[in-house]
Amino acid sequence: MQVERSVYTTIGAMALLMTFLPWLAGQFSEDVYFEWPFFVEVAIGGLLSGVMYSLVALGFVLIFKASGVFNFAQGAMVLFAALSFVGLKDLGVPLWLCVILTAAIMAAVAVVIERVVLRPLVNQEPIILFMVTIGIAYILDGFGQILWGAEVRILDIGLPDEPSFFFDGKILINQFDIFAALIAAALVAALVVFFQYTRIGRALRAVADDHQAAMSVGIPLQHIWVVVWTVAGLVALVAGVMWGSKLGVQFSLALIALKALPVLILGGFTSIPGAIIGGLIVGAGEKISEVFLGPLVGGGIEDWFAYMLALVFLVFRPQGLFGEKIIERV
Amino acid sequence: MTAIDSLDTFPKILLERSKSSAKKPAMREKDLGIWQTWTWQEAFQEIKAFACGLSAMGLSPGDKLIIVGDNRPRLYWAMSATQCVGGIPVPTYQDAVAQEMAYVVDHSDAIVAVVEDQEQVDKLLEIQQSCPQLKTIIYDDARGMDDYDLPHVMSFESVQEKGRELLSQNADFFETTIDQGKGADEAIMLYTSGTTGKPKGVMLTYDNMVITARNGCKLENLTENEETLAYLPMAWVGDHLFSYAQSYIAGFCVSCPESPATVPHDLREIGPTYYFAPPRVFENLLTSVTIRMQDAAPVKQKVFKYFMDVAKNIGVRILEDKPVSLKERLLYKLGDILVYGPLKNTLGMSRVRIAYTAGEAIGPEIFEFYRSLGINIKQIYGQTEASIFVTVQPDDQVRSDTVGIAAPDVEITIADNGEVLYRSPGVFKSYYKNEESTKSTKNDEGWVYTGDAGFFTDDGHLRIIDRAKDVGKFSNGKLFAPKYIENKLKFFPHIREAVCFGNSRDTCTAFINIDMEAVGVWAEKQNIPYASYQELAAKEQVYQLVQDSIEQVNRDLTDDSMLSHSQIFRFLILHKELDADDGELTRTRKVRRPFIAERYGVLIDALYDGKSQCFIETEVSFEDGRTGAISADLHIQDVKTYSLEEGKTAA
Amino acid sequence: MSTTRNFSDVLLKVDNVHLSFGGVKALTNVNFNIMKGEIRAIIGPNGAGKSSMLNVINGFYHPQQGTITYKGVARSQMKPHQAAVQGIARTFQNIALFKGMSTLDNIMTGRLLKMKSGLLSQAFYWGKYEKEETQHRHKVEEIIDFLEIQSIRKTPVGRLPYGLQKRVELGRALAAEPELLLLDEPMAGMNVEEKEDMSRFIIETNDQLGTTIALIEHDMGVVMDLSDRVVVLDYGRQLADGTPDAVRGNQAVIDAYLGVTE
Repeated sequence: MQVERSVYTTIGAMALLMTFLPWLAGQFSEDVYFEWPFFVEVAIGGLLSGVMYSLVALGFVLIFKASGVFNFAQGAMVLFAALSFVGLKDLGVPLWLCVILTAAIMAAVAVVIERVVLRPLVNQEPIILFMVTIGIAYILDGFGQILWGAEVRILDIGLPDEPSFFFDGKILINQFDIFAALIAAALVAALVVFFQYTRIGRALRAVADDHQAAMSVGIPLQHIWVVVWTVAGLVALVAGVMWGSKLGVQFSLALIALKALPVLILGGFTSIPGAIIGGLIVGAGEKISEVFLGPLVGGGIEDWFAYMLALVFLVFRPQGLFGEKIIERV
Repeated sequence: MTAIDSLDTFPKILLERSKSSAKKPAMREKDLGIWQTWTWQEAFQEIKAFACGLSAMGLSPGDKLIIVGDNRPRLYWAMSATQCVGGIPVPTYQDAVAQEMAYVVDHSDAIVAVVEDQEQVDKLLEIQQSCPQLKTIIYDDARGMDDYDLPHVMSFESVQEKGRELLSQNADFFETTIDQGKGADEAIMLYTSGTTGKPKGVMLTYDNMVITARNGCKLENLTENEETLAYLPMAWVGDHLFSYAQSYIAGFCVSCPESPATVPHDLREIGPTYYFAPPRVFENLLTSVTIRMQDAAPVKQKVFKYFMDVAKNIGVRILEDKPVSLKERLLYKLGDILVYGPLKNTLGMSRVRIAYTAGEAIGPEIFEFYRSLGINIKQIYGQTEASIFVTVQPDDQVRSDTVGIAAPDVEITIADNGEVLYRSPGVFKSYYKNEESTKSTKNDEGWVYTGDAGFFTDDGHLRIIDRAKDVGKFSNGKLFAPKYIENKLKFFPHIREAVCFGNSRDTCTAFINIDMEAVGVWAEKQNIPYASYQELAAKEQVYQLVQDSIEQVNRDLTDDSMLSHSQIFRFLILHKELDADDGELTRTRKVRRPFIAERYGVLIDALYDGKSQCFIETEVSFEDGRTGAISADLHIQDVKTYSLEEGKTAA
Repeated sequence: MSTTRNFSDVLLKVDNVHLSFGGVKALTNVNFNIMKGEIRAIIGPNGAGKSSMLNVINGFYHPQQGTITYKGVARSQMKPHQAAVQGIARTFQNIALFKGMSTLDNIMTGRLLKMKSGLLSQAFYWGKYEKEETQHRHKVEEIIDFLEIQSIRKTPVGRLPYGLQKRVELGRALAAEPELLLLDEPMAGMNVEEKEDMSRFIIETNDQLGTTIALIEHDMGVVMDLSDRVVVLDYGRQLADGTPDAVRGNQAVIDAYLGVTE
């Protein structure tokens, strides 16, 4: 992939800024505790939770690339997947079977969405499809809670959840976060193999590249949509299970979709590496700001940092880091 | 000594290879994206069938067979098959226009043509109209040939079919025919392009090629494990020696590229150990690397530049086994990981053990670049008439400005006029149907006149300086090579043209044309005002600038006792630019020496009689066709010259 | 074509086709047929409705009136995917390649319909899939060889010059081994040498593979040399239909060309 040089420069500058400002704050403010090991610890913790954002954003990108639909329901899919998973598990189904069954449920959801919603609305304006996905989001939220109940559920999939110490105990990292990152990395690797080396992946790339040409070589768009929504569903499943085991399975999971939005603006709506790097930047950025800059402004940065950053990007680089340049034809 | 070392023709060697190297790869070609390999045994079978087919169709010993096309296994096999039945293959340049090719077909008396594809079939069908002796056209690639319903145009396979029929009746035919071949027989005919006149057909015998190839293999320790890519024209003696003769002698595999456009890619895949390219190719590769680096990120550029400097300093010493400190070695190793390794890989030269370049002079900076990367690139000097090898550079004595020492079994001598003569087992038998040229090129004792002037440097290396006919002598009998000195002068950016005089005189003097653009920029920086070329050329500071350059050249010339006499004593800067419109240059911007000597006779006299001023009036033609005259009072400047010792200390 | 070739079977027939977008009439009462094995040209000045005609045949546009009879089956409209399944492949005026993918991958997508194991079954039969993939790769390599584009096999097509992209697009269409090949201005924007190459590929495709070809072209010279028969459209109406010679002498055609285009 061809990447403009300015992308590296931008990422580098942001990394520098995120290191320099906390250090500066530490030098001049009594309220800020700044030590390098502590900084590294915070940064790593932030990056690891950024991985989670990336996962959710990935689901958006897949669907947007293949069908041009901005899928507002991605968050709802995360919740739905997590609810189904924990529901099955609480029924005593073994873990591996839970994975398979939930995957099947997500595939079924994809088929239904394609049949009932996308097919009748083919060739409609993107805004209409976007509205439809809002509808899908509500239905999934409601349906999931009717099916599995609305209370907060604890999800324990057996990942260790103890702190690990590195460098003579100077740096503390949660083992769960490390495992989550590894699983996410494995998922991304699998996706890359799927897209790059399989026939269906080739068809997906073709559709993402040029709808018309894809149709003319006989790629059935409907099948592709089912596949893409299924893959997005599987990504949602992984994201849901990870977030769910961390925070408990509850309605607020659907809201992390809102965090994915700034991630996408950062990374670009059509880029898989963009979703990953965007997630990492947002994750690390908000943690670092909260811990080191928060005391100066009275805290709460974590809640708005991502949106602020997205705003800056919208002004200076609307296509995001890796997105295609937006050229308006007049 | 193996069996192969005692055999005297390629067919006999092939027969032996088909037994002793039966299962080893002989040829490779990329077809439909996959490398296909033929072992010696398989190649032998292909050749055998085709050879017998040729014989069945009436090709008899001594008959010529034209080969036209890119490097394809089947064309090499056709070459071999022809030799097996006593014929003489004549590979030709496939990109030649029909008229040139017609001359070769006609002159060689070829009766069969083996060509690559439809395009060449069409060309030969056209040629055939005027060359009725050409009876048969055989093609390799059948694409687009369906509609040709001509009895004398046939496919490679159909000839092999005929050959197999013949073999079914006479099984020993092939081996018996091969046995009849002798080392003194003519093996191949190669047409030299020749700068003047018609191409000449150089007849080379088996002894010529076999002994030369064998000497080359021994010199460079070539084994059956070498890898090469055959991508240079089959009609070039170099390709015939490297991709055919030496492959048979050493037994290594030759790969053919998928198409001319894929050569860089195929190089990367094959990773040749033995590689040859004209300087132009090395230059183009370097240019593309440079351009790519300019587009790279600044950090990458810095790393690249740093390690290239490291390589320049250390790489050549490592290559030549000279002392290198441990720290330098480690630094070079690091550079190898970061820069040289990946770079060599993109160039397809990761595994190159020996790279030859020949044909023309190679720029020193290009030469250094490859050597500093650890690529053992060496210059050879040769000719078709010598079965290529005249001189080779030994591994530890490689320079950019000499062509090395005599190749094994080659004797070299320098004639009185400076012309290089050689005598070797590779010396051609004769030019085909051209007794006169044969006599004027090769004398009764077997010495061949190269037409190039050169001399041996103090450390025993041959340096080629010019075409022999352009070289003159000082009145004391020392060599005067004007083009050599002029080229050295023109190497400076502010000197555009130089014309040196000295033939039959005691010293060397020069006319200079400054480069208007380069000197103009320089003058602006120095705040020197000027309005025209004439005005700029007459400035004292410009004279000083040129004088510095000439003194530099003079110092360089003292490096060689043979040339130190050619130092420039006096010069002047001409008041006008030498111009093709005025007849002073040829259209290709070569200096027309006699014309200039006549036109500016006054100035030459002034250069030699010690005057410091000289008036000249010259007629010029303007761009719109009118003519006029310009006149000037030219200043003549003396230049410092150096003795041998001075030159050394000053440099 | 210097000699007139004779064809006996009708491959595709267009009857009384009308197509309009809102109030704009793109095609009015167009009637012609394409014989099996011929090279058929559709020509006309800019905006004559040539591309619309091609889009109707391949199912991108659905005519309001009229029928298209392909291989004996009459339809009022077709879907692009259906058309592809039925053996119709096409290229586009503005090159619709998958820009981010390599030449090889682009041409491979043309094989999708020829792959027996469905898109989804791949996950379950990996071994069988691999074997089939190799066969398809072989076919694609033949096309690469045919079009002489070996040197750009692995290059992302977005980086190729225009003329080569057109070649790759032809390759992708050929990969489907179509019965009917639709070419939308295959020579547009090419230099003389590239045009000669493209003409050669079109003739060889028709000649060696027996593919029926319908092409739209601007360059009259090329059309007249290549095609067996020519349909002329102007403002969506059919002006003439016949051999190149007959069309060349047609007064209405001469008027349209002199009057409208450059």
